[in-house]
Amino acid sequence: MKPLETLRYHEDGDLATVTLLRPQINMKMVRELTAVCDHLEDESACKVVLFRGSGGQFCHGIDLEEFRPDQGVDIHGFNKWEKVCVRIERLPKITIAEMRGEVIGGGVQLALVCDARLASPEVTLQLNEVRLGFLPGMATFRLAKYVGLGRAKRMIMQCPTISAEHACEMGLIDEVSEQIAAALDQTIARFQPIHPVVIQLARRLLNESFATDFEDAIGNFLAAQHRAVTQTAFLKTIKQHHKA
Amino acid sequence: MGEDWAINASMVAQRARILSVGTANPPDYYTQQDILDRFRVQNPVVRKIFTASHIHGRYLYLPPETEDGVPRESQSALLKKHRRGALALGRQAIARCLEPEGLEPSDIDFLCCVSSTGFMLPAMTAMYIRHLGFRLDTQRTDVVGMGCHAGLNGMNPVVAWAMANPGKNALMVCCEVNSALYVYDDSIGTGVVNSLFGDGCAAVLIRSAESDEPRFSPRVLGFQSHIIPETWQAMSYHWSDEHGKFYFNLDRDVPYVLGTHAEDPVRALLGRFGLKPRHVQHWIIHSGGKKVIDAIKYTVGITSHDVRHTTAVLRDYGNLGSGSFLFSYQRLLAEGRIQRGDYGLMMTMGPGSTIETALLRW
Repeated sequence: MKPLETLRYHEDGDLATVTLLRPQINMKMVRELTAVCDHLEDESACKVVLFRGSGGQFCHGIDLEEFRPDQGVDIHGFNKWEKVCVRIERLPKITIAEMRGEVIGGGVQLALVCDARLASPEVTLQLNEVRLGFLPGMATFRLAKYVGLGRAKRMIMQCPTISAEHACEMGLIDEVSEQIAAALDQTIARFQPIHPVVIQLARRLLNESFATDFEDAIGNFLAAQHRAVTQTAFLKTIKQHHKA
Repeated sequence: MGEDWAINASMVAQRARILSVGTANPPDYYTQQDILDRFRVQNPVVRKIFTASHIHGRYLYLPPETEDGVPRESQSALLKKHRRGALALGRQAIARCLEPEGLEPSDIDFLCCVSSTGFMLPAMTAMYIRHLGFRLDTQRTDVVGMGCHAGLNGMNPVVAWAMANPGKNALMVCCEVNSALYVYDDSIGTGVVNSLFGDGCAAVLIRSAESDEPRFSPRVLGFQSHIIPETWQAMSYHWSDEHGKFYFNLDRDVPYVLGTHAEDPVRALLGRFGLKPRHVQHWIIHSGGKKVIDAIKYTVGITSHDVRHTTAVLRDYGNLGSGSFLFSYQRLLAEGRIQRGDYGLMMTMGPGSTIETALLRW
């Protein structure tokens, strides 16, 4: 992996930690997140990826400095961001977002593509894009699956600032804790043992669940289940069952 | 990944290109319901298979309607139907493939025909030379009896021939008259087969240039094969003494078995070029059936969008056998979204059990 400027990447055993070194997302960060995904898919043997921020923050969303009033806005950059979000969403690893401070816009979007979301008690969440005159990316697609359409409309169209506690009640955050390091350890432990193929299949079916009709979904499920049960993890389970 | 190819640009330049594609189907189109009505299918399970098979309708050469709905075609009538259908479909598909290039059959130097739906001797290539205006010195090969994946088994030697003969025109014709291969009874096994296959023909023109002419068509970078011998009889032809006909048998679980193994040739082929599935922009996959398409999605890790042409071709034509993937290829081209430098992966599946793949680059 080339040296990173906007991120720090650290791998320790099964855990890879991706630290956002600036609260705003710029194109450089998008490119570097893509490079990190390449590394995670092609080279890393880690099983869990933690996304976190620095300086007591997680992520404040898009960097408006990237845009100039005298220049047209290129949709291509938004597409690159969505592509890296999908890459993160489909990584063959467990992904966890560790949120601190004010989590705004793209920060919420990043948390939505992870498998689990942890927050310290002071965290607030806000999707402020509509207020600023643009759209909160594919949170328009993902958010309602977490919180229901009514709450998603409120969050996206009225742009309220929501407390961690409230977000946790809505199912947007999995756990709020003062001891976030301990909460992280417990979360990772709950995912064990990690079968990467089965994790990917389960997550994909869930992600597709609101956007697929039942006839297609059952076909998809059977295909995925066939793949799952021909994996060594399930064969091992059967062997152990018979030994016992 | 891309960098490796920049280094090997001279090697890439020598690879043959797919210059044109043309397709044809019989004139008559039948919805699944039309077929149920015409043959007065009563078995509720078979009726359900027809209406839930993710196929809207198919182009078929159906026999005349009978009073009791039961079709009566002898094996010799079916062989004749295959030959006549192959000539009519081949004539159209070849013309549609060559016309945009300003070529005639007499400009073709190598002809390869692929078919599994009726045994011919003399072969289909000989019939096309006799009737369609190919030169008498046209070199030729017939790939027969290999099944749905055979389009890529044909394309492999055609590409090799084109590379060994720069500037010469090679034409591959995949022609299947599936309506010439069936047994009609009330069983679920024949119901599955009779609900699935359609008639169609696809022709592709392949050539490697003497000089590197700048044009927007894909080069065929390589092929990768994979066979699963444990299930070698899972899709097979048999002779029915009772009906006096050949029939096709399709095992229930083979779509998932093919899907589970699909990852192996894909990774091996892409690996040879330093690529991963995520680097492939275009997936050109045989429309074998709903289950096998689902299985490939979840093993190779590609989306419903990636297989949109595969599912659309299945919906509109059924499984067209060896030429199916070229119908998807044609739809991909028609979309007009391919960029220079894009990669495409062709995949066909069939008896053996077999998965064939080819890598394209525009």
